Amino acid sequence: MKFRCERDVLDRAFSVAARAISNRGSAPPVMSGLHLHLVGDNLAVVGSDLDLTIRVDSEVGGQEDGVAVLPAKLAADVVRSLDSGQVTVTIDDDGARVVAGRSDFNLRTMAADEFPKFEQPDGEAVTLDAESVSAALEQVVKAASGDDSRPILTGVLLAAEDDGLRFVATDSYRLAVRDLPGTSILGRDQTVLVPSRALEVTGRLLGDAEDLTIRLAEREASFEVADVTIVTRLIEGEFPNYRGLIPSGHPNSLVVDRVALIDAVRRVGLLARDATPVRLAMSADGLELIAITQDVGQAHETLDCTYEGNDLTVAFNPGYLLDGLEVSPGDEVRLETIDALKPAVIRSVGEEGFLYLLMPVRVS
Amino acid sequence: MRLVIARCTVDYDGRLSAHLPEATRLLMVKADGCIAIHADGGAYKPLNWMTAPNTLTEEDDCWVVRNPRGETLTITIHEVISDTDHELGEDPGLQKDGVEAHLQELLAADPTFMADDLRLVRREYPTAIGPVDLLCRDADGIAVAIEVKRRGEIDGVEQLTRYLDFLNRDPMLKPVRGMFVAQEVKPQARVLADDRDITWLEVDYDDLRGIESNELKLF
Repeated sequence: MKFRCERDVLDRAFSVAARAISNRGSAPPVMSGLHLHLVGDNLAVVGSDLDLTIRVDSEVGGQEDGVAVLPAKLAADVVRSLDSGQVTVTIDDDGARVVAGRSDFNLRTMAADEFPKFEQPDGEAVTLDAESVSAALEQVVKAASGDDSRPILTGVLLAAEDDGLRFVATDSYRLAVRDLPGTSILGRDQTVLVPSRALEVTGRLLGDAEDLTIRLAEREASFEVADVTIVTRLIEGEFPNYRGLIPSGHPNSLVVDRVALIDAVRRVGLLARDATPVRLAMSADGLELIAITQDVGQAHETLDCTYEGNDLTVAFNPGYLLDGLEVSPGDEVRLETIDALKPAVIRSVGEEGFLYLLMPVRVS
Repeated sequence: MRLVIARCTVDYDGRLSAHLPEATRLLMVKADGCIAIHADGGAYKPLNWMTAPNTLTEEDDCWVVRNPRGETLTITIHEVISDTDHELGEDPGLQKDGVEAHLQELLAADPTFMADDLRLVRREYPTAIGPVDLLCRDADGIAVAIEVKRRGEIDGVEQLTRYLDFLNRDPMLKPVRGMFVAQEVKPQARVLADDRDITWLEVDYDDLRGIESNELKLF
């Protein structure tokens, strides 16, 4: 195999494909590598951990077709370290030679025939607007759990709703729900559970893209963004009945400037150490944020707000609270509460598409 | 235990040569003969040391410690700031926190915490290679051997595998299935357990003890 290309082209291909590599102890050694397949002027770089596979297609100056697997981290580090400009890669039985300017690297290759074949799911391709999906993923993916012992919660539920597509994620402490009206990729009442890791990678790639193409098969899904294809296994199992968790009514409703609340939670949160929560004391007089950490200190801040309901103090994990506030659209948010121990709901005032449900923290 | 605080230089000669320039240090001479030289930092680790057996020869301003392998530690004393001797007596040994034993006790008291249909046959069920923590039976009468750990690592799965091998030789028990229970089961241990058809389960110590967590959950 031999090809030439700009350093930046190869750097991007290697770094994006390498995001799929998770260095799991159980994976065969070849899975720590990047698979390169050159046909004509198309270089396909694939990284995979068997659950998640990322393929990046790049146009290069191909001189000799071929297939090889390079150690991912080392190859990516080498390419990233090169000066901008032309890179020539030559791979034969002796290894891979990477030459750029006066730099000349020789890397050992890995057994290419042991690398699993890249296969695209055979589902129907549906193209969505990248910007709206990107916004939805940003709002929802963070709420998914990172705890592999509860694999169902590490996924984002994609559910067909009457008027469009719904994204749902929860880690059992908070729940994020985002609706995309007018978007349809699923059959009636159909749901799929997509690993949040795959959607996080997809979301990062959507920045400047116009379209996202999704294919859903029985056990796999693929997401295509320009020259990158992400294939992920779907999570099997039943997602919690999230609809039952969303309270139908709230006696207490607080409307507050979103950015002001974010800033205040960040400031007061500095004194919420060692997993202590930030308390929100709500009354008709306004909103007071309080954080008290034993042997460290305490912080208080008041904010103007509109409050309807009984005087109430509810404590939240400041990180989870910020996660919800930061991804809520609009200038104002409404915090709806029942009591200090029941889930609170954050919604944007005047925007109906996003809901963030957050469990309080019990305080004495 | 002799504790000497002194301004000293130290030279080690053995597998390699090492030199500690002049500074104030703690010289620790334990009753078992071990000698350790500590700075006021570096956590628990001495700057240099020599384990027993060895011979300490003390002269006015120089200690020489030799071991049977011919290694030498030469401590040149420039100034003694403090030199004290203490009789510590026999040490009772490290007391582990008891979580693992308590976990086993709590799970034995209520096996349904692990699975709804489990009932306890016996704690510390004997096998030829040592006792398995819990032996239970499920609703179908199938024996379930349970190994309880605080941290579930590969070693624990290997240990349970060996118990299962022996237990499944007992015609009165077989077939015996395995369950690996820990507060946290490491990813490699999960993979190995899955590969061997051993069920793994993470349990919350506070939940088991009935301590109500401050963390409220949606479900």
